[in-house]
Amino acid sequence: MIYLDNAATTGKKPETVIRAVRSAMAQYCANPGRSGHVISMKAALAVYRVREKAARFFGCDGPEQVVFTASCTHSINYVLKGVLQSGSHVIISDYEHNAVVRPLVALKADFEVARVTPDDAETVENFRRLIRPDTKMIFVTGASNVFGRRLPIDALGKLCQEKGILFGVDAAQIAGIVPINMIRQHIDFLCVAPHKGLYAPMGIGILIARKNVSNTIIEGGTGTESANLIQPETLPERLESGTLNLPGIFGISAGIDFVRNLGGEEKIAQNEMRIVQNLYDGLRQIPNIRLYTPRITPEKYVPVLSFNFAEKNSAEVAAFLDQHNIAVRAGLHCAPLAHRKHCTLDSGTVRVSPSTFSTESEIRQLLSVLNRKN
Amino acid sequence: MKRYRISTGTVTYAIKGRDLLRKNGFNAYMERIYSGPGSAGCGYTVVVSGDLSQAVRLLRAAGVKVLETNEL
Repeated sequence: MIYLDNAATTGKKPETVIRAVRSAMAQYCANPGRSGHVISMKAALAVYRVREKAARFFGCDGPEQVVFTASCTHSINYVLKGVLQSGSHVIISDYEHNAVVRPLVALKADFEVARVTPDDAETVENFRRLIRPDTKMIFVTGASNVFGRRLPIDALGKLCQEKGILFGVDAAQIAGIVPINMIRQHIDFLCVAPHKGLYAPMGIGILIARKNVSNTIIEGGTGTESANLIQPETLPERLESGTLNLPGIFGISAGIDFVRNLGGEEKIAQNEMRIVQNLYDGLRQIPNIRLYTPRITPEKYVPVLSFNFAEKNSAEVAAFLDQHNIAVRAGLHCAPLAHRKHCTLDSGTVRVSPSTFSTESEIRQLLSVLNRKN
Repeated sequence: MKRYRISTGTVTYAIKGRDLLRKNGFNAYMERIYSGPGSAGCGYTVVVSGDLSQAVRLLRAAGVKVLETNEL
């Protein structure tokens, strides 16, 4: 099987990650932060070391800002519903995933959509124009999960700082691919899907909160202040009611090491980008292929590419590729705003997303199969 | 040398506090406390030997919450 659906989850996990998950199950099966016995304390210490590692990796102020959640979507919900209220004004981009849009709709937030254009300065101006005196937050994806377009995070962070607005980033498609430093980039809330670019297991997410989250959407046991019926205020435990996913947290630790040992985010992105650029060039040679972006470059894109095949529905093309043992994703990718922007709402797109394990040979096979379909 | 229990509430702050105090030459370790009369319930503490006021100053400067201190 040629797996090119890594924007959904990285299909091959490194041996080191698998070993780390196994080690959590074999040697650390106790509830961290709940008991005082040796193995519980050992587990708590191990979790804390992963918080430290994640804090350094994403450049926040300290390990206590690192919250482990069930997924990036959960992290986004914690932020949006924890900081905003019904009627709060928030600005998002026209590339947002439903993980952002649906919570805002459910919350009845007053959200406006800023247009991302090929010119980053113009994009930032589009956000600036929508800012009102009561704007509470700008929340954007780091990069489109469908078309790979990166958002100008640095400039948007500066804009938020200048205007005194909270800044949140959905890093599902950039963590592990694009270096992130929350302090330098003025990011207040970072939501991470470690099972993608950090090669961790599914079922674990990270929220890094540099600002207070006033409302909780999950309450329960935290192992502390148990006599108090009100949810504790201190992060990370405030947002971590329930037993932590220790195997997932161990997987994150090994995943961060894996990314670092490969030379870091830029090195990984460089290799994947070359693969996607070759795919782009190859697709341009095939009649009836539709591409939706200029040839992608690392400054403006992450290695994710969408295309369509003549008038065929994207699902049909993906099914054809599946018959040839090539896994890609078709449809709307839970991002209707992005598809509306690119006029692909009816057809969806076929999305190809490599990982560090993908090879040029796999791309040649994909191109060969597509040529046969013509 | 006198020993003190510094209550930090959460295990995260207890580890952060313990690490910080050790880096600054204190003999410190973590201990879980359970509910007692008048207490807020279970939580984590750092037990430290030496100058309590210096230890508390270090912890607070690093953002570690110090809920209460007791001599042991």
